[in-house]
Amino acid sequence: MNRNNRADYLGHIVFILAILLGVPALLGFDGFELNTFARYLSLAIVASALALSWGTAGILNLGQAATFGIGAYVMAMHLKLVASAGNPDGLPDFMGWNNVTSLPWFWLPFQSLTVTLILGLALPALLAWAMGIFMFRARITGVFVAIITLAFLVALQLWFIEEQRFTGGQNGLTGLAPLDLFGWSVDTYSLGFYYLVAGCLIAALVIGSLIVRSKVGLVLRAIREDSQRVRYFGYDVARYETFVFSTSAAIAGWAGMLYALVLEFASPTYIGVAFSLAIVIWVAVGGRESLVGAAVGAILVNLAEGRLSDMFVESWLLILGVMFILFVLFLPRGLYGLLRQGFGRIARLREGQGPKDARAQESAQ
Amino acid sequence: MKRRSFLTRLGAAGTMGAMGGLAAPAIFRGAGQAWAQGAEIPIGLLFSLTGEVAVVERTLHDAALLAIEEINAEGGINGRPLKVHIEDPASDPATYADRARRLFIRDNCVSVFGSYTSASRQAVLPVVEQRKGLYWYPTLYEGRECSRNIMYGGAVPNQQQQDFVPWLVENFGGRFYLLGNNYVYPKEENNVCKMLLDQLGGEAVHEEYVPLGHSDFSSVINRIRSTGPSLIFSTLVGDSDVAFARQFHAAGFDSAKMPVASLTRSEVEVAAIGGEAAAGHLSSAPYYMGYSSPENERFVEAYKSRYGGDQVTHFVSEAAYFQVYQFKAAIEKLDPAEITPEAIRDAAVGVTLKAPQGEILVDPNLHTHLWPKIARWKSDGQAEILVQSAERIAPEPYWAYAGETCTGEGLVRS
Repeated sequence: MNRNNRADYLGHIVFILAILLGVPALLGFDGFELNTFARYLSLAIVASALALSWGTAGILNLGQAATFGIGAYVMAMHLKLVASAGNPDGLPDFMGWNNVTSLPWFWLPFQSLTVTLILGLALPALLAWAMGIFMFRARITGVFVAIITLAFLVALQLWFIEEQRFTGGQNGLTGLAPLDLFGWSVDTYSLGFYYLVAGCLIAALVIGSLIVRSKVGLVLRAIREDSQRVRYFGYDVARYETFVFSTSAAIAGWAGMLYALVLEFASPTYIGVAFSLAIVIWVAVGGRESLVGAAVGAILVNLAEGRLSDMFVESWLLILGVMFILFVLFLPRGLYGLLRQGFGRIARLREGQGPKDARAQESAQ
Repeated sequence: MKRRSFLTRLGAAGTMGAMGGLAAPAIFRGAGQAWAQGAEIPIGLLFSLTGEVAVVERTLHDAALLAIEEINAEGGINGRPLKVHIEDPASDPATYADRARRLFIRDNCVSVFGSYTSASRQAVLPVVEQRKGLYWYPTLYEGRECSRNIMYGGAVPNQQQQDFVPWLVENFGGRFYLLGNNYVYPKEENNVCKMLLDQLGGEAVHEEYVPLGHSDFSSVINRIRSTGPSLIFSTLVGDSDVAFARQFHAAGFDSAKMPVASLTRSEVEVAAIGGEAAAGHLSSAPYYMGYSSPENERFVEAYKSRYGGDQVTHFVSEAAYFQVYQFKAAIEKLDPAEITPEAIRDAAVGVTLKAPQGEILVDPNLHTHLWPKIARWKSDGQAEILVQSAERIAPEPYWAYAGETCTGEGLVRS
């Protein structure tokens, strides 16, 4: 396992260097390209959040977009209030259109940036915690978790669309002010903003990796393999599952906040099924067993999507779909799995092991 | 693991490598060049060619592209051809925002034509305003917007309703059943309608909103039966409108006694509804495919010969078409060295143009003076025009709101 650890560390360092130095240099420090890439990076955060729960603990959350979307709306609510400061009573324009006369109480906390930043993490985490208690105490696992989270996502999106007096409905929250981050007015086309998002991605990966490598991570992996046996050892399986589920939700909320900043609006499509399934695809492409792998998956798929849609205006979605099918058929463990296999082979060849032993060792893994 | 399966996986990785290769060239592409220097004028089209709104947006795309091709066939504008960048935002607001960035920032388009839904227009707005670009939006919408970076080619509520509602009250009575999808456009149209009904002594007997895409109207039809309104005032869109029209017809209501009066139904919806179910119901719009004018005959003829004889034109695709000509008229007034989005906008104000619907004019508030027409649908899917407005109607996006006016300097509050 040490050899794999070493390779993993190396991968982390390469990835971080690429994000911090390689990408800005390759993009020529161009504002537009950096803005686009910052969007990919914020999506990479939510992908690694999913890898944390899916890859580590085997909890396939098909509703990851729910917590992502809540984060986005939290940030957008703050920016909307800032933008509406000049209106009578500071009332956002869409509320006036829906004949709301005064600011609802649950909008009030978002006037403060600090509270907003805290709620952007806490609300998704709390929600996931409540869902986690309900699901994991009842020992719901596998495909049923996927169905419940997906159903919750659909319900939440409908609710956001229906309650347009408070959420902006189908249009979402638009006409936002730029973020004023403790005196720094954030220009989303600047290098500074790119590094803000990149820094958040690296921080999220570090937090996630610490969990994965800790004893908690070990228990979670054990739960993934055989939760019944872990339970017999005396571990409170539901508590571990709820913990990783909530942490993943908080990180997704964080990603959502950044996403709302990049695109300058929040839309109910962020809480959509299509978007949520896209996250699963990115993670599957990158490899769900590695947080960095999932992040790379998100970045690569979005890069490919951007590039393909440029070249094949009419058929880009189709080409992308075929690629995903190929991935699922031939690379079920994603790019990370492929790399690991390759590394393992090289290392074994170097140690002079015969192919027979290698095969035996591989099956033992 | 078998060696052979490892090799197939390598093959799949090769596919992935190809994806990476595709991604690379974008990275090295530099920023665009100044507008004035190139011989071509860069413009963008941002209509969804895939996804749920593609059915309508493709017709807008086609109409705008037709105008662009016509202009280029005649040698461009002042001898400079239009270079068109086509993007497919796939009916997704986030993708609209991304593709708008591409068109305005990377491709340096002096103007972009796009969007059907309000949600997509709103998604594009931040980048248009931040980059001081110009976005041509052909769709009727709810008003209450006054951006200096959007050219609005469609009707705002006053243009569709100020003649229509009094005419309906006079001919059918003042008890309106307001029915729409649950989003900002129907609500705002109904706010305006209720204001007019107040003035005319009518009333809204019921006001109801169903989710977008909703298709089961049995309870609505029961309520219509029990309230017995003079007419149904509809702002249902797309599939909902089609489903409602069919079920309303199947329920046996007589369109001559209790018609559906729609602000959103065009030839596209009527084709989906079917002529028999749509026949006898009413619409108010600035343009119908069957309107007779030399400009419209030319437009319909060109559209059909380009895209097929079974295609229809409608009041949004007409605007998508004439907006390209408004753009052309604006550029013609400019010195090639001073073509910027802001200069185009300023030059476009006051432009008059013989559009298929009649002679239209761009207001200083960047909306368009239009010719609303009240029409009854016939069983062949075309409209019979009953009332043509006596004069061109000016756009007033804040019509129902005293103290707010959209002017050439933006929104003015008094």
